[in-house]
Formats: sequence, structure tokens, C-alpha cells
Amino acid sequence: MSSAGAGSETSALIERIAAGDRDAFSRFYDLLAPIAFGLIRRVLRDPEAAADVLQEVFWQVWREAPQYDARRGSPEAWLVMRAKTRAIDRLRSIRRRDRTFVAPMDESVARSSEEPAENPAVVAEDRSLIQTALAQLPEPQRRVIELAFFDGLTQSEIAARLGEPLGTVKTRARLGLERLRGVLRGERVSAR
Amino acid sequence: MNRDEIGELAAAYALGGLDAEDRGRFETLLRAGDPEAVSALREFEGTLADLAAAAPEPPPPAVKSALMERIAAAEPAVRPPVRSLSRPRRAIWPVVLSGAMAAGLAAIAVGWSVSSTYEKRLDALARDAEHLKAELRSQQTVIAILRDPATQLVALAGQAPAPTARARMMWHATAGGIFVAAGLPAAPEGKAYQLWAIAGTNAPVSAGVFSVDASGTGSLSVQPLPGVATVNAFAVTLEPAGGLPAPSGAMYLLGKS
Repeated sequence: MSSAGAGSETSALIERIAAGDRDAFSRFYDLLAPIAFGLIRRVLRDPEAAADVLQEVFWQVWREAPQYDARRGSPEAWLVMRAKTRAIDRLRSIRRRDRTFVAPMDESVARSSEEPAENPAVVAEDRSLIQTALAQLPEPQRRVIELAFFDGLTQSEIAARLGEPLGTVKTRARLGLERLRGVLRGERVSAR
Repeated sequence: MNRDEIGELAAAYALGGLDAEDRGRFETLLRAGDPEAVSALREFEGTLADLAAAAPEPPPPAVKSALMERIAAAEPAVRPPVRSLSRPRRAIWPVVLSGAMAAGLAAIAVGWSVSSTYEKRLDALARDAEHLKAELRSQQTVIAILRDPATQLVALAGQAPAPTARARMMWHATAGGIFVAAGLPAAPEGKAYQLWAIAGTNAPVSAGVFSVDASGTGSLSVQPLPGVATVNAFAVTLEPAGGLPAPSGAMYLLGKS
């Protein structure tokens, strides 16, 4: 998890990147690429697609560092949001391609084609850490967060899939994230 | 909008699952600097960043070396391609264009030397050649945009004044874009629709003015926007004919890239 110390270093780095400092970019990459890549891999199981997306995300960092606005959040959050958006975009384009070129198929088949067999030990470890945090949410809230953040479904799609009203999905996303914030900060979660 | 509702929009925005209409509402709040919206989003994005940080994975070393090379290569040029997938695609067009140009010039040259009775006809031919040349140029742009994998397709959804309107933007950062809209009401006398490109938190940049025909359909060929690297959203507002440097009227269409 990110610490305050790491946060101030990345803020300083991003200023230098904005000024075109390649060494700062290199350091920023070393510090944060594993986090971005972990997330991208969680969304996109294909390692080549994931590496491609990672490159695009950091290219965007290099290009758009001057637009980073510290008032809007930490460099980590700025980066993670870019990684998530790019990974989800790629996942959706894979889904569209599969639907177009592989004939109509069931969503579960589409998913399986995005998820080639891989080293189960890596997946198990990768999942356990995030799962530890997510496991502390009530199941319905956890599902909504996972379907949106890792599977790229819109709230309407989630509502349709779970057979729940859209309003319920919206509320669960908010409550889930609020609770997750407490969990990740190590606060005791109060039942509100 | 109450606090919980803003929280819900912020949560869904951070998670990435916001439907187009809600996304438009929330981005309007963000652009207006609504403190509640900004702080809720900041909190939720920070939470998701912390969640992602719980499961780092070492990336393949090739990614970093490719990036550093790309940055080094980008130093003199403004915007190099990622990988040269199909670099020589334009090669044929200059030949065709120079042919059309030569035809036009020859027509003019001959026109001067032959009797004046042919002057008008040749003049018309030259104009035709000029016209064809311009058409080829615009089609060349269209083809380049359609063929390039870097082209983004952005769907714009109708906003409050015209909920059933819709539009598509095929956008390419260096080649420009093709914009088509349908279902828009005819603009009142002295007004026109104006397309805006929104990049990050910067002020919207005008991408041109267009009108719609009786069926509510309009289109616009958009030049690349200098200084705009990545467009996050396109929007259409109703403005005085001729357009304004910054949007002032009601928003009719909005789509995030």
C-alpha cells in the first residue's frame, strides 16, 4: 500500500517529468509500473496485451505530466486511473472483436477467450492480496466493485446481470468504496 | 443534487462504470470545480489506487526499454508513431494528386495558347481538376483516419435539449476527425452548432461549426487540433452562427473518448 513518503517522492518526480526529465520518468516508472501492471493484468489476462497497455499508459504519463493537477489526487491515483481506463478500453475492444469475428457467443465464452491458461500460482497470489481487502466488504458491494473495476461493466450492465435495480447498484458502489477506504486505511469498519 | 447522489456519481466515475448521461452530469460538476464532487472523486480514486497497490506485478523489462527509446526518439519530433505498422500507406496518393494537379496545370497552359473560344471550357476543366484535387485530398484524410488503428470512435449522446440526438466522432490526433450527427433540431436563425474538444481540465477547444439539414443530420470534417494531445471528450453546443472561442450555449451532445 502507498505510504505518505512514497507519495511526496512521486509528486516531485511528476513535476520533473513535466519538465522533460527522463531520469525522473525512469524512476517514476520503476516505482509505479509494478502497481499499474498488476492492475492491468488483473483486467487483461493476456500478458502481451497487458504489456502493450502498460507502455501506452506510461507514454501517456510522459506526454500528459504537465496536465497533472495535485488538487485532483495523488500521482499514484492519477496513474492507476489511466491504467484502469486503458485496460478496460482494451478489454472492451477485445470483446467487440470477439463478438464481430468469432460469431455470436455467450459472455462466458468471450471471457474464457480473453483468459488463456496461465501460471495458477501467480494468479492465486495476485488475487489473495486484493481479495483480502475486498473480502471485508459485504458480498453484494464486493460484486459491484469487481464487475465495474475489473470487468469493465457499466452500472446498467451490472444491474442487468445481477437482476437488481440501477439505484441499488449505484448505492452499493458508493457504500462499497467508502468501506474499502476504511479497510485499506486499516480503520476498524463500523457498521453504519 | 445531494451529497449521497454526488458520492454515487463519484464512486461510479472512479470505478469506470458510469453511464453516458450520468458521466456528463458528473463531468459538468468537476469542470465547475464543485468541491463536494472533487473531494469525493479524489477519495475514491485514492482508495482504488491503494487497492491496486495491494497486488503489484513486475512488468516485462522490454516495456521500459521500448518506452525509453520512444521518448528518446520523440525528442526532436512532436509525435512519432508507436510502431510503424503501415508507414508507407500514403505513398500512392501524392502520385494520384500530382497527376490531377498536372492535368489542371496542363489544361491551363493549353487554354492560354489555344484560341479564346476554348478558354471558358478549359477554365471550367481546370476548376474541375482543382475541385477533384480537393476532393481527393479530403478522401485521403478520411481513408487515413479509417485505416489507422489509433483512430478512436467516440459516441456522443443527446443531452437535455435533444435527448434523442446522437453523433459519432472518428478522431485521430494527428490526422483530424470525421464528425456526423443525427436527430438534432434545426438551429434557430442566427445560430449554429459548435463542436468542442475537451482535453483534461483545459478549457474546451473549438473543433468547428456545423449546421443540420431538414432531417436533423449534419457532418463536419475536423482538422487536427494543435496543442491538444489527447481529447477526453467531445461536446456540441448551440452558439451564435460563426461560433465563439468558448462555449456559452446549451449542450446538445456529449461523448467521452
